[in-house]
Formats: sequence, C-alpha cells, structure tokens
Amino acid sequence: MVDFTLNGRPVSLDGLDDKPLLWVLREDLGTLGPKYGCGVAQCGACRVLIDGQSTPSCVTLAGSLQGAEIVTVEGLADPEGRLSYLQQAWLDEQVPQCGFCQPGFLIAATDLLSRNPSPTDDEIDEAITNICRCGTYPRIRRAIHRAAAARPVA
Amino acid sequence: MPLITRRGFLITGSALAGTALVAAIGGVGFLATVDVEGLHGGAVDGEDAKLNAFVMLRNDGHVVINVPRTEMGQGIHTGLAMLVAEELDIPFDERIEVVFPTEAHPSYSTWSNVLQVRPEEASGPVAWIGRRVLGQMGFIATGASGSTMGLWHPMRVAGAAARQMLVAAAAARLGVPASELTTAEGLVHHEPTGRRIAYAELAAAAALLPPPDAPTLKPRSAWGLIGRSQRRVDLPAKVRGEPVFGMDVVLPDMLHATIRHAPVFGAGVAAIRNEAALRAEPGVVDVAIIDGRHVAILAQSWWQAERAAWRLDVEWTPTEADGENSAALAARLEAALGSEAPHGHIDDGDVEAALAAPGARLVEADYGVPFVTHACMEPMNATAILNEDGSAEIWAPTQNRVTMQAGVGRGMGWADARPGEVTLHVTMNGGAFGRRSDQDVIAEAAYLAARHRGRAVKVMWSREEDIGRGLYRSQAAGRLRAALGTDGLPLAYDARVAAQSILNAMGSRNMPFTPGPDGDYLTVEGLDKLHYSIPNRRMRSQHVPTHVPIHFWRSNGFSFNTFFSESFIDECALAAGADPLEYRRRLLVDSPRHLAVLERVAEMAGWGRPLAPGRGRGIAIEECYRSIVAQVAEVSVAEDGELTVDRVFCAIDVGTVINPDAVVAQMEGGIIFGVTSALMSTITIQDGAVRQSNFHDYPMQRMANAPAIEVAIMQSDLPPGGAGEPGIVPVAAAIANAIHAATGRRLRTLPLATTETTGVRRVRTLLATQA
Repeated sequence: MVDFTLNGRPVSLDGLDDKPLLWVLREDLGTLGPKYGCGVAQCGACRVLIDGQSTPSCVTLAGSLQGAEIVTVEGLADPEGRLSYLQQAWLDEQVPQCGFCQPGFLIAATDLLSRNPSPTDDEIDEAITNICRCGTYPRIRRAIHRAAAARPVA
Repeated sequence: MPLITRRGFLITGSALAGTALVAAIGGVGFLATVDVEGLHGGAVDGEDAKLNAFVMLRNDGHVVINVPRTEMGQGIHTGLAMLVAEELDIPFDERIEVVFPTEAHPSYSTWSNVLQVRPEEASGPVAWIGRRVLGQMGFIATGASGSTMGLWHPMRVAGAAARQMLVAAAAARLGVPASELTTAEGLVHHEPTGRRIAYAELAAAAALLPPPDAPTLKPRSAWGLIGRSQRRVDLPAKVRGEPVFGMDVVLPDMLHATIRHAPVFGAGVAAIRNEAALRAEPGVVDVAIIDGRHVAILAQSWWQAERAAWRLDVEWTPTEADGENSAALAARLEAALGSEAPHGHIDDGDVEAALAAPGARLVEADYGVPFVTHACMEPMNATAILNEDGSAEIWAPTQNRVTMQAGVGRGMGWADARPGEVTLHVTMNGGAFGRRSDQDVIAEAAYLAARHRGRAVKVMWSREEDIGRGLYRSQAAGRLRAALGTDGLPLAYDARVAAQSILNAMGSRNMPFTPGPDGDYLTVEGLDKLHYSIPNRRMRSQHVPTHVPIHFWRSNGFSFNTFFSESFIDECALAAGADPLEYRRRLLVDSPRHLAVLERVAEMAGWGRPLAPGRGRGIAIEECYRSIVAQVAEVSVAEDGELTVDRVFCAIDVGTVINPDAVVAQMEGGIIFGVTSALMSTITIQDGAVRQSNFHDYPMQRMANAPAIEVAIMQSDLPPGGAGEPGIVPVAAAIANAIHAATGRRLRTLPLATTETTGVRRVRTLLATQA
C-alpha cells in the first residue's frame, strides 16, 4: 500500500509497488499528460515533479513514493485553470510543434526555475536534457528566459 | 512500363487505358456527379448548420472547420483554417474549432499531391479522373510538404462560398439586395440602415441555399489574415498536456498489446518456446502470432504485456539475410555506381564528350549516407475494435487515411474477418516524418481486434521495436563528376546515385501495385541541379534492393542527394579557385528567384567576414517542394576534434506565406532534424539485424549545442510552396562545406561526426575521421 498526492489529490495504491510510476499514472490513474517515449530515462517525455524535483517516471517504481507529492503537466496550472508563467511563456513563444514531448519539457523547466529563477543559457543546457524530435529547442530556450523575466520576484 | 516519372505517379499506359475503359463503360456519368469542390450538401442538424464539406457553424457562434490533413506538429490545422477564416470573414480566435473529419468527402482527396500539380492549375483527362477517382477512394494523405499547396485554393473557395450563402440569407431576411451587404468579424452588415446580423443567426437558412457556382475570392490586397502570424489553434491544449495522441486513446475494457518483430527483417516465427509460461505471467490474456511473422502479447495493461515480452523466447526462421552487415551492403552500393545499366533520368547535351575533351579539368567525388530512422517521439501505435455487428472502428496517429483503411482490411483478413462499416479516427500525431504512412501497426491492431472480437485492442511498440525493427531511410551512395571550363564553371555535370527505391519498397508493403523501382523520382530528387546553368547534364540512378524495409523519411531523396550535390558544387568551386558563394551566384545567372534567396542568406550570415581559427562557414541551396531554401552553417572544430554547429542562417522563398511564424518554426525544426542526421545518425546492420535500439545508441540533438538559428522569409506573390521538409534539405551540405572551410578536410560521408555521451545525457560530437 502506497499513499501519495497527485496534483494535490490524495491517492492510495495497492499491489502496484513494482510498477513504474509512468504506467501507474497512465493506466491506473488516467493521467495521460506524461508520455512514454523510451522507457529508459533517456528522452524525458515522462518527466513529473516528485517533491518538486523533475524525475523520469518511467524508471521510478510506485512503491518508492510513500508520502510523495507528485505533479504532472496537468497540475501546472492553478486550481482555477490559469496557466503557470512557464506555460504562458510556452504559448507566447509558440513552442510546441507535435507537442508530444512538451509535458516533459514543461516539468523539467518548472523544476529549473524553482531552483534558479533566472538561469543562464549554460544552466538551461545543463538542466534541460529532454529530446524533442520536432526541434523546438530554440523556442524552449526563449520561453524559459521569458518566463524567468515575467515571474514576479518572490 | 514505368508507372512513376519525376513528376510523380502518372497513371499512364495500361493503367490509364483501364481506368478510361471503366469510365467509358458507365462511370463517366457517375464520376461527373462527384462533388469535387465539397460545396454541396449543406444541412442543418440540431444546433449545427453545415454549409459545405469544410465549414459548419454552431448557433453559439463557434465555427467548425474541417481540416482533412494530419496535425503532426507542422501547424497545418492552423494554416488551413486561416484560409477558410480569411474568406469567411471571421475572427481567428478560440471560437474556431478545427476537426479532422471522419467522413472521407471526395473534396478532401490528396489527388493533387499524387499528380504533383496545383489543383487550380490542373486540367485535362488525367486531372479529371484523378480528382474524381482518387476522391472516391478516400485518398487522404498528409505528406510531401503538399497540404498547403493542395488545399490553398479549395479551402479559400469553401470559405468564400459559405460567406456568400450567409450574405444571401441575410439579404432575404432584410429584404435588401446582397450587393448592399458587407461582412466582417462574423457579422453581415447593412451599412445604409446600420443593421447587423451575426452569422450564427443566419447559418440555418444559409445552409439550405444552393452554393454559388463560382465563389469570388478576395484579392491579395484585401487579405487580413493570410501572411500575418496567427497563434496555433492546437497549442493551448498542448501546454496543458490535454491533446489525445494515438497513445492516449482509452476505451472501455480495452486490451493492450506489445509486439516483437523478427530481428532479421523477413524472418518468421518458427516457434515460441515458452508460450505457456508467458500466458501465466500477471495480466497476460493472449499470446498471438501475427501473419506468421510477429509475436503479440496481450494483457490487461501495456506494462504487463511489455514486461512479459522481455521473457519471450522465440525461434525465428532463418533467412538469406542472416549474414548481412553494413560493410557488405555499402559495397553493393559502391558496385552499383559502376553498373552498366543504370536508369536514366536526364541526358542533356553530350556529357561524355565534355568529360573526355582534351584539357578538361575534371572534378570527381563519391559520397555516402547510412540507413537512418524516424524515431518519432510517439512510438508506433493503433487502437481497433471489431464489433459484434461486424462494424469496425480504429484510432491511430497516421498520415495516410488510405493506408489506414487498407491496413484494417489486411489485418482483419489475417483473422478471416471482413469488417462491414469501418470508421477511421485520425488522432494527433506525436511526430510523423513520413513514418506514419505505413499500414504496419494498423494491420497488427486490426488483426488482434478481430481475434478478440468485441473488445478494443491497443497496440503499442516499444522504442526498441521502433528503432531496431522498424522502417528506414535508405543508405545511398553518389558519384558526381564535372568538367570545368576555362572560366571554372562546369561544362558538364554527371550525377549518379545508388539507393533502394523508396516508392518501390513503400508500395510493395502498402499499395495494390508496386511502382518502380527504376525511375523513382524520390531516389534522384536533389541531384539534378536544374537551377544551375550547366550546358551538359546527365543524371542516373540505380536501385539496390536490400532486406531492410525502406520508407518515406522527411525530405526523402533530398536528404542524401542535396548533401551530395551541394557538397560537390563546393568542391567544384574550390577546384576553380572560387569563393563558394560567388561560384553559385555565377551558376544562378538564369535563376533570379534562386539568386535572391542565396543573396539574402549570404547577407544574413555576413558571408566573407573573417572568422576565428577553427571556425568556418558553408553554404548550400536547393529547390524542393516548390520552394527555394538556402542556408549558411557556421561551425567550430576544437583542438580535441569537438565539432559544434554554432549557427545556421536560413532564407526561404516559400511563395505566398499563410502563417509566417509556422514557416519559421518548420525551418527551425527542420534544421535541428537535419543536424541530428548530419552529425549523429547511423543505423548499422550486423548479422542481418539493426544494432541500435534506443536513444542511448541512436542519439538525438538535444538542447545543449543546438545551433542558434535565424530564418528569413522572402516576399513572394507566387502560390504557396511546401514548408515541412525544405528546412532539412541543405543542412548537411552546408555543415560539410563549413567543416572544410574550418579545417581543410572534406568529409563525404554522413554522419560527419562520432558521438560520445558524457555526464547525464550530454552528447558530444567529434569530427569524424573519414578517409
């Protein structure tokens, strides 16, 4: 038995300890934002925030998540549905093409900005290792800078 | 008799005669009634008023625009909806809903791509038959950078027709002549009295009016949307993680399947050695052999199926290809380049005489590229159900509705099932790049659905199946020769390519007839250099079959031929002691449109400005998909051999631009895609099988070291060309030319680098050590 929160809602799982979180989310919890792209933590399409940290859910077993706070792309907007600064910047820069990998990029960038409110290009390169086959990297970089500039200083 | 010419499938000879005969016997009358423009059939259904095959108005003010082309990232749902909105005079905002229609109306047909013509320019019996017969067949496909070209005219006509019907309905209601009415922002306006009526109030009456015979299109000067960047209609959902890709289709009581294909292409299943044990695995419902060739494991969840598949123990049948390897396959290409019986495509002037002329300065070089694959981020998948009543329904991310339909019939046929009514749903595609026009995964899902009649089955391939047991762009080799005149420019240009015919391979798997192999225009595109003024020109190809299944791959022949030909033109320039830009200028004296693109990119890149040691610029230009694209790459090669593509400048003449920001995005994405294959991509064959399996050994360009990109779009009043593929086309040659400028080394084989992974998912590219 494992209990955690998913996008703010409490979840209890039974008998799924050895199932990767990605498949628990997609098959057992109906949370389809995180995508399967490689299954081996290479592409980042499955990334979710676990206690605020961007993590590839395809290699994270559900049994390890007791008490964790999990946020997927569906949980980035606020409860009223207003987009996060980053999502808004993604729209303003018209980032996605096919959009399949973008949930993972949004998660990775959310984590980056939470640790580093104003990252340099090198810091973005270091933190954002996901794959986008459509080649949206130049716009992702711009969107991260835009979100960093738009976010009020805490 | 060739069925394929450079201009595409020409339905020639007996095929045309056969079609004409059928038509003559009784089809002419029927075919003549086909609504090829989609303007008829207006209807009111509850709150929805359908004005034609493309436009439906809802009484809440929303406008549904049917876009019968696949959204796979290129922004086509936005660009084509803009065409309707422009003529319909509606605001381009969230009230527009874009739908890929499930109905296959004849007006949605991709016939013009097949015939490689613009619909508005097509005429004659072939076009007449093409649009009517292919229209009837539900031939709806997205590819060849042709969606805007094909629907540029029809979708504006549909918008204009709908607008005129709304005006007519308003005129009747107000009792005024239609000539006194204007439209804007979704309203009909009667200026003399100041009265305004919203479209939604007029829609039901308008839908029942006859469509105008020849709707009037706006002049260019009246355009308010076309040419102005609009936000994409699909992105608000995409930043929330909401769109439904094929992978996200969920149906009640659905079974999940994973597939294992033979490691050696062409092998079959001799035996499953541990079937009983697999069936006892948690959640496993079935273990099935598909068409004697593949093994499917079905379970309650995909994770359970995939986990069981890791333990699958199959004996595959031996094949003649069991000993094949990359070196042997490459040697076969090399041998084919010297073959005495190539297929001839162009033979203008006297190339042999010019090459043999005394004192001729010869330039000769061989080039090569390996097999590569698509690696769409969304792995291959499809979901199907065969209902108890015999009807079938299928959901898939696909570029090609007609192969989807054929795949359902084929797969269900393996289970001796013949579905009645079949409903096809095209979902969002997580990348496609030509890959999703094959029926493979669709037939697999259809078979398993027929085997489990009454239950939906979703098939999904693992990434390892996609990269290691999938479909590939052919390896290819080129041999180029030129004789330079006293001015240094080529008097003769002689280009040969050896590769596996794309159309032949794709057709043999997916089409009722197999085109080619000889004369496949996809094998030679990018080689002819017709825009360069060269008096004697020859172009030949050789089809070299292998056991590796070849498929469409973003930009097809251009992906290798332009690397060959634009590298070679640089070699000619250097042999002539000329600057590569200046040399191309002189070759483009008769092609002002190309020259303008070349000049623009040179200006953007600051061509000629000195660079630091270890850095270099390279240039390349191509005409493709009715567009002209030129790029300058700037590279750095460090002391330790690390190769970085620092910047790429791109100028494109795409004719009339619909949504400029979408064209820029396609150039950016195409360049990154091209950098990946230029620097990193190799599919290697060993013992008949692909060695690579996932992104650790088939690396992709990532954020770090991705080039900075600048794009300029040329102003043009010509009709639109294609934008999905041109961005890739010149990249590899521009980079190879830049490497030469930086190092003096000429690399003639892709990839241009070797890769090494450092740290966590960081890919370093080191200049390749080629002979």
